Amino acid sequence: MENLRWRPTVNEREFIEHALQSDLRVDGRHSFDFRKLKISFGREGGSSEVQLGETHVLGYVTAQLVQPYRDRPNEGTLAIFTEFSPMADPAFEPGRPGESAIELGRVVDRGLRESRAVDMESLCVVAGKHVWSVRVDLHILDNGGNLIDAANIAALAALSTFRRPECTVGGDDGQQVIVHDPEVRDPLPLTIHHMPIAVTFAYFGEGNIVVVDPTYKEEAVMGGRMTATINSNGDICAIQKAGGEGVMSGVVMQCLRIASVKAADITSKIKKAVDSYTTEKALKKVKRLPASLPQKINVTDVTMENKGDGELETQTVKASDVQNISKGDEDHRNMKGNSPLIGDRFAKHKQTSTFIGGPSNWDPYSKGVSLSSLRISQLPDPATTSKASSHEEAQPMLTESSNAEVKSTSSSGAAGESEEAQEMGSPKSLKDAVKPKHKRKKKKSDRS
Amino acid sequence: MESRRPPPSPLVDSYVVPGDVVLDLSEMTNQTIKLGTGLRQECDTIQATSAGMLRLSKPNKYWVESSQKRYIPSVEDTVLGIVVDTKPDNFVVDIKGPNLAFLPVLAFEGGTRRNIPKFEIGTLIYARVVKANSIMNPELSCMDVTGKAAEFGELKGGYVFDSSTGMSRMLLSSPTCPVLEALGKKLSFEIAVGLNGRVWVNAPAADTVILVSNAIMRSESLSGIKQRAMVENLLERLS
Repeated sequence: MENLRWRPTVNEREFIEHALQSDLRVDGRHSFDFRKLKISFGREGGSSEVQLGETHVLGYVTAQLVQPYRDRPNEGTLAIFTEFSPMADPAFEPGRPGESAIELGRVVDRGLRESRAVDMESLCVVAGKHVWSVRVDLHILDNGGNLIDAANIAALAALSTFRRPECTVGGDDGQQVIVHDPEVRDPLPLTIHHMPIAVTFAYFGEGNIVVVDPTYKEEAVMGGRMTATINSNGDICAIQKAGGEGVMSGVVMQCLRIASVKAADITSKIKKAVDSYTTEKALKKVKRLPASLPQKINVTDVTMENKGDGELETQTVKASDVQNISKGDEDHRNMKGNSPLIGDRFAKHKQTSTFIGGPSNWDPYSKGVSLSSLRISQLPDPATTSKASSHEEAQPMLTESSNAEVKSTSSSGAAGESEEAQEMGSPKSLKDAVKPKHKRKKKKSDRS
Repeated sequence: MESRRPPPSPLVDSYVVPGDVVLDLSEMTNQTIKLGTGLRQECDTIQATSAGMLRLSKPNKYWVESSQKRYIPSVEDTVLGIVVDTKPDNFVVDIKGPNLAFLPVLAFEGGTRRNIPKFEIGTLIYARVVKANSIMNPELSCMDVTGKAAEFGELKGGYVFDSSTGMSRMLLSSPTCPVLEALGKKLSFEIAVGLNGRVWVNAPAADTVILVSNAIMRSESLSGIKQRAMVENLLERLS
């Protein structure tokens, strides 16, 4: 498809180089600015979608039990596969990976493997017989320039949220491996020691003009490129410079210094995104009671668990998490400059809070507690007006509930267990909490 | 010639989707109606085959205007093309359409075999579409109908970027589109818009060019008021 390939015009080439002489980039960035980075995750762990400006990459991690290599009988394996979809760029052909696809896979692989970022020995189950083989698939969805950096971030984000099934060795001869179902035993995360971040530099002119994170057009016009994979400790994991314009060693050293600064920044962004995703997932698994918590619960881990039968025996809520989530939501509303991805997640969380996914072997007549009703209980605090905004939004959700009485007792919440934490609330709420406690227990026994 | 004009379709200047009946021909007799892109005659009706806005140019030409990233060449459009190859008789030019277009080497004002222009690969050309149909490669010309040069030809310097076809039409509309008006009040620049979704901007200073091109790229989905606000924001931030 020769006519579909994009070629830069003479005008663009000259203009980009001329503008860079005066330290101007065509999209208005500075020479060492990265584009906007957005990381989102799929429903299950192990899949990530990274948007770096216009570049769009999908990472997907899977694992299976295999026989280890003969020379490394007690280590798991890690493999990176790349898929350059023709929808990303008309120059990508379906079928065999081209040169740039192989180079990308190699750079990402080297960054993860040589630096031992992912712990391989923990993936061993039975030495010499069964080890976990982790496979990372990177799909390029849109080529807006700088695929290597975006793909690297996608791989790291996917590996950080991937959970492999837990398995135990047993059986008659002690060699049989039983892989546990994720419903039965929680799957385990991979051990990731550090995050090697790839930072790509593009060279223009005679190798004396350097920019970070080139766009599609800049890549078409550049003289050469170099990718430095470096972690937030400043350890250089890999460097890749494949042909192109020659650069002075001083320029290379400067690039490495810039790369370590950028790596720290990107590492924190990835960690933030992964953390908020993990917290959200943990909350979804937590079972909510019909009664919600009083205002500020300081109890450290009051966790709710859903045992096999419908009765809710131990009523414990991850209060600290709940508080953090709703507080974070309000903080987000107040702060404009906050990362948009957290906002998206909270918005999604609000919508999903009324739906409680997961096994439905709980009492169908009990009203599942939604996060909104939890927030409602935080309302009576007159000090913070910001909470009022969450109240207005949660109100319509409240009115849907048919049983008004349940809601009136909702202020008591899991008050029984968390009485000690109610010193924050006004004395009124404490009384309210104590009295309806009995009502609630009666109701529960009625319904069950 | 009919003394009575055919009543215009009620759907003119509104959005149509494929399958909408635009005109019912059973009442009309002895009238000529010209159909442009996006319309097809089905027995007694004229139906839209693409989604977009139905347009009428008096007296009787109808077509459907839609906005896409790729361009379908049609005659009399002015486009910005990139030279990808030179042949003995034609320059082969990419105009973002399904086929590459041919620009005859003699299609320039005062063009003879002796003074064929030398365009290298990657040259930006402002030209007019002379022949276009779905089967053949389209043909361009760097002359207007009278044979004068009229601004056609090579564009030197400046910066080129892509836009959608709808955006190009908006930039060329009169009265001047809000983003260009707002930019023109504070900055001086020259601009060439190709109906095939390419825009060329030139100004003495590089930062003006960057500002103008980014402002235009961002105004794709904004209304008039928002466009003006966006431009003011941009100008303030950088002044």
